[in-house]
Amino acid sequence: MTFEMSRRGFLASAAAAAAGLALSPRGAFAADELVAATFGGTWANVQKQILPPYFVKRTGASVVQSPMLATEQIAKLTAAKGNQPPFDVAMLDEGPALEAIDAGLIAKYDPAKSPNFAALNPKFQGTFGPAITMQAIGIAYNPKTVKTPPTSWEDLWKPEYKGRVGITSLASTLGLAFLLDINRLAGGTEANMEPGFKKLKTLLPNLAAVSANFGAHGALFQQGEIDIGVQNFNFAEELKAKGVPIEFVRVDTGTPAWKTTMHIVAGALKPELAYAYVDSQISPEVQSEMQKSPWNVIPTSSKVPYAGLVAEKIAKTPTDLDKMVFFDWAKVNQNRAAWTQQFNRDIRA
Amino acid sequence: MAGAHHSKPRDWALALPLAAFFALFFVAPLGLLVAISFETERQMTGTLGLAQYAAFLTDGLNLAVLRDTLLVGAKATLLCLLFGYPLAWLSTRVAARWQAVLIFLVVLPIVTSVVVRTFAWIVILGRHGIVNEAILALGLSAQPLKLLFSETGVVIVLAQVQMPLMVLPLITTLQRIDPNLESASQALGAGAWRTFFKVTLPLSLPGIIAGTILTYTASVTAFVTQSLIGGSRLLYMPMMIFQQAMDLQNWPFAAAVSVIFMISVLLIVAMLVALSRSRAARLYG
Repeated sequence: MTFEMSRRGFLASAAAAAAGLALSPRGAFAADELVAATFGGTWANVQKQILPPYFVKRTGASVVQSPMLATEQIAKLTAAKGNQPPFDVAMLDEGPALEAIDAGLIAKYDPAKSPNFAALNPKFQGTFGPAITMQAIGIAYNPKTVKTPPTSWEDLWKPEYKGRVGITSLASTLGLAFLLDINRLAGGTEANMEPGFKKLKTLLPNLAAVSANFGAHGALFQQGEIDIGVQNFNFAEELKAKGVPIEFVRVDTGTPAWKTTMHIVAGALKPELAYAYVDSQISPEVQSEMQKSPWNVIPTSSKVPYAGLVAEKIAKTPTDLDKMVFFDWAKVNQNRAAWTQQFNRDIRA
Repeated sequence: MAGAHHSKPRDWALALPLAAFFALFFVAPLGLLVAISFETERQMTGTLGLAQYAAFLTDGLNLAVLRDTLLVGAKATLLCLLFGYPLAWLSTRVAARWQAVLIFLVVLPIVTSVVVRTFAWIVILGRHGIVNEAILALGLSAQPLKLLFSETGVVIVLAQVQMPLMVLPLITTLQRIDPNLESASQALGAGAWRTFFKVTLPLSLPGIIAGTILTYTASVTAFVTQSLIGGSRLLYMPMMIFQQAMDLQNWPFAAAVSVIFMISVLLIVAMLVALSRSRAARLYG
């Protein structure tokens, strides 16, 4: 190999290299590698630790997990529409999942390719993919500074919590579900959010922070920046397991909850691996492992009985799950843009 | 590819690779952004018009957010200049060894990740942070001050994060000033302050303008710092663009907001450039 290349030769090879870069499929270096989206926070940790070993044993392939918010996954899939999708497995909350279905971003789920699908409780057998867990919200508080355990959302409005309460913006389902629930309790519906916004405005004096996302929100509990606030059950319990002074309680008006689902992306490059991955996530082995502390992921397979903190704080039987509070996410999606603007307007400092 | 036809390469051909790179990865995406901003429908059906721009400009909240963003950048830039200028001046006056130490300290923030740096500031400015603990211990205030999730906090952190962008151009300019000019001014009877204001400051103006432009553009677009230190109750343009593009999937509106934001910032930069030209013309013309 000499370094005296003609200019023409150099240009030709540079052009070829550039074209090669542009055309090379993602992961050209790994023959058998699946790319799957996951959530941040607890999810990134639990799915990294428990799912890949099981998946690798089952398929011999490797998996790259990329943590993204549900809305971010939709944005990336939309951007890649008509080309190769950036990942083959999506993980979404109910609202974004409906958006993805409407936009044709995810494929119908074929139960024949997923042996563990049949063992799911029927309400978790989605046409476009299984529910892999339920996410539930309640109040988290710092037991060192909050002496009386809270019991209802109303407690967040107590004058003694002035400047000590934390919520998140509507960008995360956590903040959205909280607003939907206080709206419901104030007499509103998914079509009429006025009562909820009115109620939220009266919370302003008590707010220490409105986090841009749930990652930042968890950090605020850790640093004593907030003493009490809305929080997701899994995140609160994980922080507690890490030694953060935090306690999670259910509110007495019913626990707002939503399904978290997994999907095969439309036009997936490695559909067989994608199915194997999703099926691994709904296998009794993986789900019972994920139900253990510090993860406390609520199982959806009927073969996994509720145990540990899930049984203690969320549900002892499948019928307990039915008593949770659910929202009409299709209606929510119709209004989310208007609500975001209204939220921005109302909470501006 | 261009350039293959000449037998003798011209000098300007040296810039071709960069120009091609620029056209491909900067101009083209920007063109795409502008094109998308004219889509009237969220689903981008191909109907073109100015609906997105109208939607932005007819809502007072959007205009207030634009104003706040441009202002927060100005405040951070001023603070940067206030602290950065003495530092730059000092580093041109000390022995070479100390100068190296000072420049290293100035550059240090660039080599740490912005996310890590921002979280460090959260720990410093928080309710139980170092600053508040000190203030409470000294009895300066009975209540912890609200530094985090306030504009004050955002300005402080932006100023620290962008400091190198201000200080480095200033050092370069200050080093180029002929020391004889200052000696001459002193010999002609001007005091130290007068020499500074009449000789050093005007001659360092190009550095001030360069630093200001860099600091300002970096501050108004600092998405991570603004959202983590400011929280959601302080809304700035980058977060608004993120909300519309990633959270609500409304790309045409996000594109229009981006274009409006870009034009606003470019106008301010153009004014600064014009200012430096006119001053330079008067100084050296």
